[in-house]
Amino acid sequence: MIKLNMNENPYPPPENVLKAAKLGINNINRYSELKYSNNLKNLLASYNNVSKERIILSPGSEFILREIIYIFSKGRKLIMTNPTFFPALEHAVKNAKKIVKFQLFPPEFKLNQKMILEELYEPTFIIIENPNNPTGKILLDESFVEKILQNENALLLVDEAYYEFVKCTFIDLIEKYPNFAIARTMDKAFSLAGLRLGYFIAGDYFLRELYDFPKFLPIPVIFAAIEALRNQEYVNENIERIIGEKKRVENELEKLGVEIFPGEANFILIRCKILNLAKKLIDKGIIISNLSINWLDGFYRISIGLPEENDAFLLEIGNIKTNYDDKFTLPHLKKKHY
Amino acid sequence: MLEVGLIVNPISGMGGSVGLKGTDGNTYKKAIELGAKQVTPQRVKATLSLIKRNDIYLLVAPGKMGEDYIKKFNFKYKVVGKIGEKTSAEDTKRIAKEMMKRAINLLIFFGGDGTARDIYDAIGISVPVVAIPSGVKMFSSVFALSPYAAAKMIDSYTEKSIEKEVLDIDEDAFRNNKLAATLYGYLKVPEIEALLQEGKEPSIMSKPEKENKEEVAKYIVENMEKDILYILGPGTTVKGITDELDVDKTLLGIDSVYNKELVGKDLNEKGLMELIKKYKKIKIIVTPIGGNGFTFGRGSKQITPEVLRLVGENNIIIVSTPGKISKLECLRVDTGDAEVDRRLRKFVKVVTGCNEETVIEVK
Repeated sequence: MIKLNMNENPYPPPENVLKAAKLGINNINRYSELKYSNNLKNLLASYNNVSKERIILSPGSEFILREIIYIFSKGRKLIMTNPTFFPALEHAVKNAKKIVKFQLFPPEFKLNQKMILEELYEPTFIIIENPNNPTGKILLDESFVEKILQNENALLLVDEAYYEFVKCTFIDLIEKYPNFAIARTMDKAFSLAGLRLGYFIAGDYFLRELYDFPKFLPIPVIFAAIEALRNQEYVNENIERIIGEKKRVENELEKLGVEIFPGEANFILIRCKILNLAKKLIDKGIIISNLSINWLDGFYRISIGLPEENDAFLLEIGNIKTNYDDKFTLPHLKKKHY
Repeated sequence: MLEVGLIVNPISGMGGSVGLKGTDGNTYKKAIELGAKQVTPQRVKATLSLIKRNDIYLLVAPGKMGEDYIKKFNFKYKVVGKIGEKTSAEDTKRIAKEMMKRAINLLIFFGGDGTARDIYDAIGISVPVVAIPSGVKMFSSVFALSPYAAAKMIDSYTEKSIEKEVLDIDEDAFRNNKLAATLYGYLKVPEIEALLQEGKEPSIMSKPEKENKEEVAKYIVENMEKDILYILGPGTTVKGITDELDVDKTLLGIDSVYNKELVGKDLNEKGLMELIKKYKKIKIIVTPIGGNGFTFGRGSKQITPEVLRLVGENNIIIVSTPGKISKLECLRVDTGDAEVDRRLRKFVKVVTGCNEETVIEVK
């Protein structure tokens, strides 16, 4: 199977990262030590240009996001976007006094900033992915972020899971605003999805509440992450390759007449009215993300794979289009796009 | 054994290939003249060949409306009803009713929006259906995505079902590339959407649709204010509110309640205007039509521009399940009055649960 559905990095980590993970495995009869975590936190602090005390490690960002939403939505209104990527958070969000979801809609998937600011008349916790998954759109700008943070009713958490691909961050505001926090991950750009390493860069208010968050991660995870941070050049090369491939895949899809919604990050959002496209591709051994299950019909998200995987995807989607039996398509939809 | 009805609209989809966009009414004859060929048999064959469960006992319509297609398969079956050489909507309705009387568990039908309307006329929401699209127009959300999805629904059938919209599409307008859709009714379909997932997806809607409707209804009822007349639009989401109030609702009509008591049933514009004159404070509760997002102008024509002007755009409560709203790019209004439409076109908050709202644009 070719997996183009999880926004993973198609390139494995370099050999020395794998060696470090194996070294960690050799020691798994022992508990992880604080010095290992501290070492990793020092490197992350230096990588992000923040103080080490602001870094909280987590086994995958989902774990800490659950905890944070559970703690900070208590008695507050929770603002999120729809769609968003926050799996299995239903129980956590039920703590909130109220939930307001902002529907992002095509073609621009913009956030209604004015309405969000108007919502800040009472204690509010805002969680936004920037760029958004699955649209890939940058939803925030610095002026808007500062307007939120200057309101004493607001807590803001920005998930920057795709930071390395888009280079858009508001990390400089962390020292200034205690009500601000950023979630990051090493799953994507650092090719460590299988190890699940997330981290959180917290403003003072968040830090105070999370002082007792578990500090230990499995030894192989820490060792691999430390080594990965020492191989920044390899990471940057992969990012360039992925972005280059993304442009190539987008161009080829456009030639096929597939509707593309330009976005950032390592995935592509398309709308395609060929019924059961995802199923047809699965039959050919390719998995893409079918967003119409929970969101708008005809929308799919495609991660960037290795060049040969992308070629296979382009070939199969091209074949599906060619063989497309037009009786399955509504006449008014045939004119523009497949 | 699972007793399953099977009805095929043999002429469904024939208009498509000859550019007629449907075979409703007399257009079928024109389709034949233009050389249209049957497209349904392939769909029937594809679906039946994908069904894996072997505890099905089929009650099938005769000849080309069912029996002809199943002979090649190993299903146990019995033929229900009679048909002549030419078939019509009346055959579909009559046979569906007969099947319902024989207490089938599930009804499978092949056709388009027109067939869905005939099935709704015959059986309403008494029996769950699996609708396989083989027509030219399949805008109703009742349809399964494909024969594959339909076979999965049949294989995984349990008694859990949800209601989906049946739309009435104006074929003449459709032929001129205009989509004029009104809500016609509802059919029950098995609720197994999660089983149709293709690959791992994060789910933001883990609750069943029915529970979501009940949650919205409870929240609205708990927050209903005293001495306000509530005008209630059509649809099952709004019906959830009257169910919660233990008041009888006209599913496709407009009713109204005051201090949690029914004060108007199946109201037209005149009836609404009389109530508006009588009561001082008024709110309207509506739900968008699934698929196209219309809140006013389709399915609730009784709430005229004049009614909306008198009630005011700030006294409208829109309710929906999260599942329905997530599938809409926007809400829509088309009241026929440009000024009223302009006032309604803005970002609105839709009640999607207990203390839960979704902000969406009205276009």
